[in-house]
Amino acid sequence: MKKRKVERLIEEANELLSRREALSTGAKVALGAVIAGLVAGLGGYFAGSQAAPQRTVTVTAPAAERTVTITETVLSTITGAAGKKPAEGMYFRLVTHGGDDPFWAVVKKGMIDAAEFYGCKADIDLCGGDLALQQKRFQEAVAMKPTAIALVINDPSWAPLVQDALDKGVPVFGINNDWPGNPRLFYIGQNEVRAGYLIGKRIFETGIKKGIDPKTAHLVMPVEVPGAAYGVQRSKGILQAAEEYGIKSYEIMDAGGLEMTTVESRETAYFLAHPETKFAIGLGGIVTDRLTTALKNAGKKPGEIIAGGFDTTPGTLAGLKEGYIEATIDQQQYLQGYFAIVCGYLYAWAGFMPNIDTGGYLVDKNTIGIIEKFSPLHVR
Amino acid sequence: MESKRSLMLRLPPEVYSLIILIGLLTIFTIFSNYRFLSYENLRALGRLLPDLGVVALGVAMLMIAGEFDLSISSQIPLCSYVMITLLKSGFGEILSLLVVLGVGAVLGFINAVITIRGRIPSFITTLGTMLLWRGVVYVWSGMMPIPLRPYLPETSILALVFVSEVFGVPVQIIWFAAVAIVLGLILHRHRFGNWVYATGDNELAAKEMGINTALTKTICFMTVGILAALVSVLQLYRIESFAATQGIGFEFRAIAACVIGGISLRGGSGSVIGAILGIIAMQTIDTGLILMGVPVFGVSAFIGIVIVVFGLLVTRAGRKFVS
Repeated sequence: MKKRKVERLIEEANELLSRREALSTGAKVALGAVIAGLVAGLGGYFAGSQAAPQRTVTVTAPAAERTVTITETVLSTITGAAGKKPAEGMYFRLVTHGGDDPFWAVVKKGMIDAAEFYGCKADIDLCGGDLALQQKRFQEAVAMKPTAIALVINDPSWAPLVQDALDKGVPVFGINNDWPGNPRLFYIGQNEVRAGYLIGKRIFETGIKKGIDPKTAHLVMPVEVPGAAYGVQRSKGILQAAEEYGIKSYEIMDAGGLEMTTVESRETAYFLAHPETKFAIGLGGIVTDRLTTALKNAGKKPGEIIAGGFDTTPGTLAGLKEGYIEATIDQQQYLQGYFAIVCGYLYAWAGFMPNIDTGGYLVDKNTIGIIEKFSPLHVR
Repeated sequence: MESKRSLMLRLPPEVYSLIILIGLLTIFTIFSNYRFLSYENLRALGRLLPDLGVVALGVAMLMIAGEFDLSISSQIPLCSYVMITLLKSGFGEILSLLVVLGVGAVLGFINAVITIRGRIPSFITTLGTMLLWRGVVYVWSGMMPIPLRPYLPETSILALVFVSEVFGVPVQIIWFAAVAIVLGLILHRHRFGNWVYATGDNELAAKEMGINTALTKTICFMTVGILAALVSVLQLYRIESFAATQGIGFEFRAIAACVIGGISLRGGSGSVIGAILGIIAMQTIDTGLILMGVPVFGVSAFIGIVIVVFGLLVTRAGRKFVS
């Protein structure tokens, strides 16, 4: 029987609607699949980047190549296993408070290079200054029973956790930061107080040679994160040097965090507000990086305020060349990551417990060349 | 007497922002021994204020449309890294800039699509994308700073355009003024501006009026993305290096600047003038306090107090004005 026209129209309309619905649903599903694929792809990329050691970048400097070759020969001789990497099958974990800071990228590079060279696996936790998170990661690492854990010991509350790990047979040693009384096996890192003393001594010596009166001179020490262990310990060393030179007026300045514009703005305002400032020592990499521009903003000439600090970021290197920065401390943090693997292996193999001071390398306009050579390789 | 009191309270919130800002600047000037008005300080403010200011103007427009974008603090370093990567690869400055602005637009578009099509609050969307893009930057860049100078041509056009001075005035503030004028004209003189206000005020009613609210919001999100990309290049050329920590905290400072300037968190009200006043307030507070000799450790506390006081007064004024 022929369908009525109205019924036919209704059928066509229903077909059209369901086609539209299907297309709309299809579009939603497709969009969801794309987003899920993107997230999965990115997640896989991140997991791969974190887990697998990267290929070592070839160092073109001939001296470094010779050193690497010699070390490899010696190691092969020691282990008696030519062709086999000495730490194969070992797994090391670095549990750190690092994060939003290029400093830790170099530490990680050192770790990756050493892991590749020694043939072991290694991971690094960057907990962004969150102590609770870092302790959680540490306990997770202990549960995995790695060959050894390298831990940034930045708080007295680590002592029982480290003892507990040692009791469970997991070797723990300190890197980057240490705390008196902690039962860790040994420590690899910069002595922050000593580094502060070295840079302070250099800055104050230079200023006094230029005729600055230490009794009336004012010292400012900008810091990214007030109260953080690195700043507290470095400032202790700087103030030890200040006391030796008779400098009494000082201030530790909250630079407002890690954001470059905020740091620059605050440092500029400080120099304008305190014309009695004769010495400026940044307690971290970012505050040191921004010193040169802040001094320029405040209308200061090179050498008018004797400035220095830590790390070798591009702004700091530019300041060294222009004469605004007198000197900076290179923490050689690559060695912290590198030696974490080397010393972990040496402990596991033969029970060695070396304490290594990796830091305190003073960079000035005479030694800037080697830094510039290796900085693009993320080694210095 | 009663009607006079009512008249005073019914002033637009921007007027209150202006009065408070003038008061603050006067206090800063007097108690800093006039150092606040020194050429060095004003020049430094001119160079640094636009870093937050330019992107905050875009955030203001988006907030008026009823949405938020927290991901600007990650878009900035990501776009900066794209720019320096292109320059390192040998691409020309202008082409690199255009690509980066395109990347910013895409990032804004992604925020829009997820928010509008997914029907989830933009706060959640952009919180997620903020974390996503920051993670991407950290992994991709390895968090290493990269100097800019080795990759610039001998005569850098963009250095002239972005970091020079015109008769002693930093060119960055000229960029800020230009963006403010363009956005101001769009919001207050163009039909699109009406759509933005209508969408933010009552999205359902706006749809009933025939306004394509999805398109309106998408354009606002993309505007924020483009401005974040512009700021990334401004910062890159001024700092002369890429840093993965660029833009940290900008998301909340931008929103705070907008609230101080009288832009409602609920959307539908506010102005570019208000945003400008809020930006100036946010960017001068810590400078002014430090110049006054306030102990620097206390600066953050003072900033917090000023933001809350500003916010209370301006929000209250806004409610009275509307009622």
